[in-house]
Amino acid sequence: MSNSHDHDHRPPAPMVDEVSDFEVLEVAVRELCIEKGLFTQDDHNEWTEYMHTLGPLPASRLVAKAWLDEDYKQLCIDDPVKASLDVGIDWINTMPTKFGTPSDYCNPRILVDTPTLKHVVVCTLCSCYPRPILGQSPEWYRTPNYRRRLVRWPRQVLSEFGLQLPEDVEIRVADSNQKTRYVVMPTRPEGTEGWSEDQLAEIVTRDCLIGVAMPRVDRKADDKRPIHRAVHPFGH
Amino acid sequence: MSKPIPLLEQIGKDGRVWADLCEEYGVDNPDPPWRITLESTCEVLNEGACVLPSLERRDEEDDIVEDHYKHIPHPERQLLALAHTMILRGVITEEDLAQHMKVIEARLNAV
Repeated sequence: MSNSHDHDHRPPAPMVDEVSDFEVLEVAVRELCIEKGLFTQDDHNEWTEYMHTLGPLPASRLVAKAWLDEDYKQLCIDDPVKASLDVGIDWINTMPTKFGTPSDYCNPRILVDTPTLKHVVVCTLCSCYPRPILGQSPEWYRTPNYRRRLVRWPRQVLSEFGLQLPEDVEIRVADSNQKTRYVVMPTRPEGTEGWSEDQLAEIVTRDCLIGVAMPRVDRKADDKRPIHRAVHPFGH
Repeated sequence: MSKPIPLLEQIGKDGRVWADLCEEYGVDNPDPPWRITLESTCEVLNEGACVLPSLERRDEEDDIVEDHYKHIPHPERQLLALAHTMILRGVITEEDLAQHMKVIEARLNAV
């Protein structure tokens, strides 16, 4: 068998060629838990495989479909669990527990923006997030600073994300909890007339779905966000 | 204020966080490869016998991070807070963890 290839390979992507103390610590904590019988390797594998399937694409798709189909939009409002099935997310049966996840119980809500109403999501208590349909929460979402200040000064916090809203736009902050998870359905931007569902889904980024950004025709990825340290940390 | 764990303080002081490693190696993945396995560990501890309920873990994470690891980024500080909580709860010991880390470090660096 020949080892030669008759096609070109791209150079391999750079990788971190170093084992960090944190990597070692993560393995050590996990293996000690398994040694002590707190969970099994199989339990852990099942969760890890499930976690790897999560991301914001299903929620982006849901919004794009709703923008194109008023009946589907109404379904999103009335029965988000059923509407999620159309984008491949079963909030109830696909998690390893088969009854939702311990920290993502099955009461998703879709918050529909209008030209005069902007929703934005937070979890003041901890970091509840609609992971089945939106993936892992970004770092800033978990910070005490965001959680504490958004409910008090939403307009100011949104402006720190680069979202300047006119005074006549009402901002409504939705506080997630262990049972209820929110996804924002932003308004469809001008300049997208005639776009396909695929094209629309591309501009509905994670930050738009949390509510700290608005979809733009020229923006398909979330910007890196600065992390502000809390002056008066939550709970202290 | 929770008591410090010297082993974890040392890791927080000397350990190289993902952002630094990315810069050195030219990697642009926002998360270290162990972030998902860490999240899974948190989930399975919250399942079944429920060794560590998620809300308690997050509350403790806030407090422990504020007390000991506030200058360390996420998810490194989430990991330190989890290990810290497990030690404070007596689920694992600092000595066990230190010993196990030596074994794993040798294993992962084996050539």
